[in-house]
Amino acid sequence: MKSLFRIIRRYSLMAGLIILIILVSNGIVLTAIGYYTAGQEGADKYYGISQRLMEQIGEGFQAGAEGYTLDKKGMELLESSEFVWAMALDQEGAAVWKWRLPEEIPEQYSVQDVAAFSKWYLADYPVKVLIKDELLLVFGCSPDMIARHNLVVSSVLMAHALDYFKIFVLVNLLVIVLFILWFGYRFYHSMKPVAQGIEDLAAEREVRLKEKGPAGDLAGKLNEASELLLAQRRVIAKRDMARTEWIAGVSHDIRTPLSMIVGHSDRLSKDKSLSEKNRMLAENIRRQSLIIRRLIADLNLTSKLAYQAQPLKKNRLCPAALARSCVADFYNKGLEGKQGAEYEFEIVMKEEMEQVCTFADEGLLARAVRNLIGNSIRHNPEGCRITVTLTEQEGSIRFLVEDTGPGIPESVVQNMENADSDIHIMGLRLTEQIAKAHGGGLEFVQRENGGYDAGIYIQTNGHDTVQNHENMI
Amino acid sequence: MELFERKIMAVDDHRGIRKMIDAILRENGYTKIISVGNAREALGLFEREQPDMVILDIMLPGEDGFSLFGKIRERSDVPILFLSAKDEDADRLYGLGLGADDYMTKPFLPEELALRINVILKRTYHVPELQKEREKSFFLGEREILPERAVVRYQEKEVPLTAKELMLLTKLNENRGRIVTFDALCAAVWGDSYYGYENTLMVHIRHLREKLEEDPSHPRWILTARGLGYRLVKE
Repeated sequence: MKSLFRIIRRYSLMAGLIILIILVSNGIVLTAIGYYTAGQEGADKYYGISQRLMEQIGEGFQAGAEGYTLDKKGMELLESSEFVWAMALDQEGAAVWKWRLPEEIPEQYSVQDVAAFSKWYLADYPVKVLIKDELLLVFGCSPDMIARHNLVVSSVLMAHALDYFKIFVLVNLLVIVLFILWFGYRFYHSMKPVAQGIEDLAAEREVRLKEKGPAGDLAGKLNEASELLLAQRRVIAKRDMARTEWIAGVSHDIRTPLSMIVGHSDRLSKDKSLSEKNRMLAENIRRQSLIIRRLIADLNLTSKLAYQAQPLKKNRLCPAALARSCVADFYNKGLEGKQGAEYEFEIVMKEEMEQVCTFADEGLLARAVRNLIGNSIRHNPEGCRITVTLTEQEGSIRFLVEDTGPGIPESVVQNMENADSDIHIMGLRLTEQIAKAHGGGLEFVQRENGGYDAGIYIQTNGHDTVQNHENMI
Repeated sequence: MELFERKIMAVDDHRGIRKMIDAILRENGYTKIISVGNAREALGLFEREQPDMVILDIMLPGEDGFSLFGKIRERSDVPILFLSAKDEDADRLYGLGLGADDYMTKPFLPEELALRINVILKRTYHVPELQKEREKSFFLGEREILPERAVVRYQEKEVPLTAKELMLLTKLNENRGRIVTFDALCAAVWGDSYYGYENTLMVHIRHLREKLEEDPSHPRWILTARGLGYRLVKE
């Protein structure tokens, strides 16, 4: 759901940025237009009807005996201007001078007429007026040239124009922000189930969304994807189960004939009527058949662990006691047939380790540790010193098994990283699976000579410390 | 009746296994062994022969071993040991849960089968003997340990053992020749919540050595397995 929040946040920020960009660009465009139309340059551009032009023309009026005349310069200016006609009214409202006056324009005006056209139109002609001495100069513009707009603004409004402008901008912004939030919320609301669906899909949970609303199509696709995944998972689980059952079946079928081999070879190896040589051969068969027994058991367990068909039986256990018990097992029976070779064991751990307890499957964990120790013994037939180091750090417990032999070769470590490996490292793979089933893993520690030592670590969920007891004698 | 005179019935569909069980038991001193290959015949044979113990396979043609177990139990309380190729924990737990006396998986070591049968028969029919064996005196060199009286006898003198010392010595003697870890020893004496008793254990072992060894600082019988536990040396 975090990602959805991120999307919404980004969406809101983006919307805010867009508003800012629009405001700034509007400002730039308005300023530019204003500059071009209302500034000095603008005035020059529309010089043809400007106030300055009218004043220059007004300068050219002279009162003579034959009434008013416009001098040459004034006439040139007028003719080169954009005005289509012009007239001068005296104080009586009579047109005392005319230039290209259309027929529909009257030549006598009352005070009301003057008041009306000076701010508006005169017979559809937009007009501009200028008072020159006792004359009122009236210039007519072409109707398609300019538009007039009579704006009356109260002085209160003008006095607070800036404040009103601020309020105007603020209200606008507020409305925009509210819209952004509203749309953001709507977007979030409609996307929430979809986001939840994607999360469920990632967590391998079944997705069943309502296929309504704007995200209905997406929800439908998610439902389809979920169904597809579920179907695939069912097929895989069925196949895994079939494989596990097949391995379990084969190992079961092998057990009965193997029983005969183990049983009879054991009896033969103890049959005093046989020669020493033959008894040794029988002993050899017995030992090898026990290896097959172990391999079958490992194969069975490894397939069950790989396909989660083996539930863990977690109980409270102390790793220190487990390590001691595993090592003691080797002293007591694990060194069978290793006469002539000397194996020395050492368990290294801090005093505090004695108090550490955790929840784990004791049988499986002991098997993993015994596998590691067993590897050291098997690969050092002349004997060696084996050290089991037990440490606890960062919520995990580590069992590291080191020996004084040449160590695990690089090829085995490389092989562990491949999914398809030969049976020789099945024991290591099983050890790794057991560790992984406990939230940990297998790890290799390289020595200076290039060989490796192997260890496992498990998560200490449910870890606790054993209570101290009063010593009692 | 002597232990080895007990009649044992083996039920397994594999003829080779039946013959091998027969041979193993005979080699281990048993003489009355009968065997059968399916559940139906097994029930008839059981009623006719009234064996003292049954070794039962689970995968049988027709009726399986679990079902046969139920029918035998309706007729008798004889001890029953499951001997099966089914090694699933679930099967083992189910079998033991039904009330079987033991559960062994194939392939098995002949000696282990014989030992387990011995234990079951002793537990069922020879409790006083078993008790006696447990309380049987044993020797550490010239010193005789008499568990039922909790004393060590040496040169006509008797030295008493405390209850804890006797418990430790019994545990070590039951596993004679093998290392018994601190944890197992402490658990035997103080139960599962034994943490913190290691030092106390050392004190008890020292006292034991003083009573059992010629030279307690160079023990001959109770040896320390460094970092692991103790071992009672076999003669």
